[in-house]
Amino acid sequence: MKIVACYSNKGGVGKTATSVNLAYSCAMDGYRVLLCDLDPQGASGFYFRVKPSRKLKKQAFFKDVDCFTGAIRASDFENLDLLPANMSYRDFDIFLSRMKNSRSRLKKALKSVKNDYDVLILDCPPNISLLSENVFRVSDRIVVPVIPTTLSERTLEQLFGFFREKKYQKNKLLPFFSMVQRSKKLHNETMVRLKKKYRKFLQKSIPFSTDIEKMGLHREPVLSYAERSAAAKAYRKLWREIRREMDL
Amino acid sequence: MFSFTGKAVMESSSFVFTFPDDKIIRESKPLKIGKSPFSLEVTAGLFEEGRLLDTFTEEVRKSGKLLFSINDRLLLIDWRSGDIFEQPVDYSWSFLPELKSGPVRDNLKGVSEIRAINPVAGLKIRQDKGLVLDDEVKTRVRLSFFSFRRKNKSLLFGVTRILRGYEKTHGILVSWLLAEGAQENSDPLAVYAQLGIQTRDYSVKPRLDISGTDDIKKSVTTIIRTSLGVAEQNEPGIIADLDTEFLHDYRVSFRKIRSALSLFSGIYESKETARLKKEFGELMKKTNRLRDLDVYLLDRDRYFSLVPESSHEGLEILFTHLRRVRKTEHRAFCRVLKSKEYRKSMDTWKELFSDPSNLSDGRQKRRVSSVFAAKRIVKRYKKVCRIARSIDARTEDAVVHELRIECKKLRYLMEFSTPFFAGKKMKKLIRSLKRLQDNLGRFNDYSVQQRFPSEFFEEKMKRSRKGIKMAEAIGALTAMLYQLQCRERDLVMENFARFDTEKVHAAFQELFEHQVKGLSE
Repeated sequence: MKIVACYSNKGGVGKTATSVNLAYSCAMDGYRVLLCDLDPQGASGFYFRVKPSRKLKKQAFFKDVDCFTGAIRASDFENLDLLPANMSYRDFDIFLSRMKNSRSRLKKALKSVKNDYDVLILDCPPNISLLSENVFRVSDRIVVPVIPTTLSERTLEQLFGFFREKKYQKNKLLPFFSMVQRSKKLHNETMVRLKKKYRKFLQKSIPFSTDIEKMGLHREPVLSYAERSAAAKAYRKLWREIRREMDL
Repeated sequence: MFSFTGKAVMESSSFVFTFPDDKIIRESKPLKIGKSPFSLEVTAGLFEEGRLLDTFTEEVRKSGKLLFSINDRLLLIDWRSGDIFEQPVDYSWSFLPELKSGPVRDNLKGVSEIRAINPVAGLKIRQDKGLVLDDEVKTRVRLSFFSFRRKNKSLLFGVTRILRGYEKTHGILVSWLLAEGAQENSDPLAVYAQLGIQTRDYSVKPRLDISGTDDIKKSVTTIIRTSLGVAEQNEPGIIADLDTEFLHDYRVSFRKIRSALSLFSGIYESKETARLKKEFGELMKKTNRLRDLDVYLLDRDRYFSLVPESSHEGLEILFTHLRRVRKTEHRAFCRVLKSKEYRKSMDTWKELFSDPSNLSDGRQKRRVSSVFAAKRIVKRYKKVCRIARSIDARTEDAVVHELRIECKKLRYLMEFSTPFFAGKKMKKLIRSLKRLQDNLGRFNDYSVQQRFPSEFFEEKMKRSRKGIKMAEAIGALTAMLYQLQCRERDLVMENFARFDTEKVHAAFQELFEHQVKGLSE
């Protein structure tokens, strides 16, 4: 099982849109995907019309295997499930260790209903916390949406700095440009500069698009309702690049 | 949209149901599911002309599934699990091995590969999809429906798919469906009944209505009457040449009849028995060559794998030749089946065996079936043991053949007598004999197969290039078959030792010898 996190220490950079569309692309490629909503304000669940379970608010929820499996909801799309949860870092720790350990009860429970997953996609909250540090440790790759502006440049520097300081594997970080407006000079210049500075930047960038903004209206991935749009195509290509990076 | 074909989806099948009509999905607007906030939305398909397919022995239906052909695709529905498989097929086929691997082919395992699959009935089929949606238009349950129509009758088959996390909604849906008249169903026979399709319900071994306390004449007459009926059911299949099993079953039936006559001798008057045996024997003779050819042709692939590639060309020539001979043989036997003489004989036999009183009485006719059968079984069993124990590595092949024939007789006797004795024990004993019989059967087959091709090697072939190639291939094959025969021969003693155990002796004693001693007739 591979784990891909979608992370940024800055809000409003298109993280949830990325998680949702990457999860959808991954499922379309035939992988069984579980999209985990780790952001308390996360809208992943909203985009798939999944109502959060009332039970999820209980603190001790994730101590029990049945509650883990019980919290998972099927999306309307084949091969794609959701874990719409408010997870504390401790819950998340238990959850991940169980997901990764093939002999754990959670894995067995999922296997018994053919719901063993090939890929876990984590939609992370925009801060550096114990939860995100956990994410940094366990993920195979961390995709980081970056808007090509000066402010984003600073937060990306901070993230790399943090990785250096904590001795996390920096090559897990896969930044890519998000909400790109080619008409803006600043965007173009920043992109050139950053690509030079960070070799790991993914080739494909996601354009700023009203199609993506409309996700809130459609409550579906862009790839589902505007398959042919430039944004949808960009997400497909971005996913393929990530897949190659992970040898999937 | 979603599909149920091929790949396992992240849902598990759940509620499988039928409605005696398809009214419930005829509505065009979403249906409210009881008092719940959920609704059922159906996306209707179009009716297509389809055909229900099965083998003559209805193996697909008996395995709990139904197979349909609709235009250029096959549809297989597992009536118990609700699993649905589809596979395109744009070529003609009759036998499973001719079908390309795919979801349908792969899920028909267990269905005979040498039985032809043919249309059973024509019908109209429509496939609809259903979604149970909540107030945010999120899908909570998926459904797949199939409407079947034939003449003025209809049936709706449905299967729900639970979506992870929405089990409760599924429960609400199931209660609602049941309240609306859905029937939980696990037998595809319901389709036959509802749509007025006749089941053939054919079996080469139909249940016999005989008991151990009946007099033996009544029992044997019933066995023969039933076997005649089975043979007759196979006649159209032989004539149409659908598959080779029709002739096989036909022969099995007549072999049973002949064995019954000789194994239970003394039931009818000896002259009449001899006359009947002769009549049935003559009919069988007319099928021998055709059956031998069928068996040989069915084994084609194995023969090719036995010989080196250099002999393949010759073998191909041999098989082409054999296929031609088979065609002639088949035509000849069809003429027999269609002849007035045959029809007359069949009618006479059927009339004769319709009532025991139509037949003459032999010395043994009043014997109690179970005692009579037990005596004969014990006698045969002792004979088998005597011959088998005399066999060692140097014994002549003729003795091994004799053992094979005696084993076969014992097996038939036991099979006939199954209704007279406690079912499970008898079946177990028959099974314990089977391994030895299979071994002896193969030993015999290899010896027949070595002689067989030369029978068709005609004088004039000797001079042609093809003839020489063929002779070479036959030589290579014969050498291989001889080796295989020797190997089987080596196994006979070992397999007999497995059969010749205290446990088997005890079982024979318990089942039959006590019967013979304990009961005075």
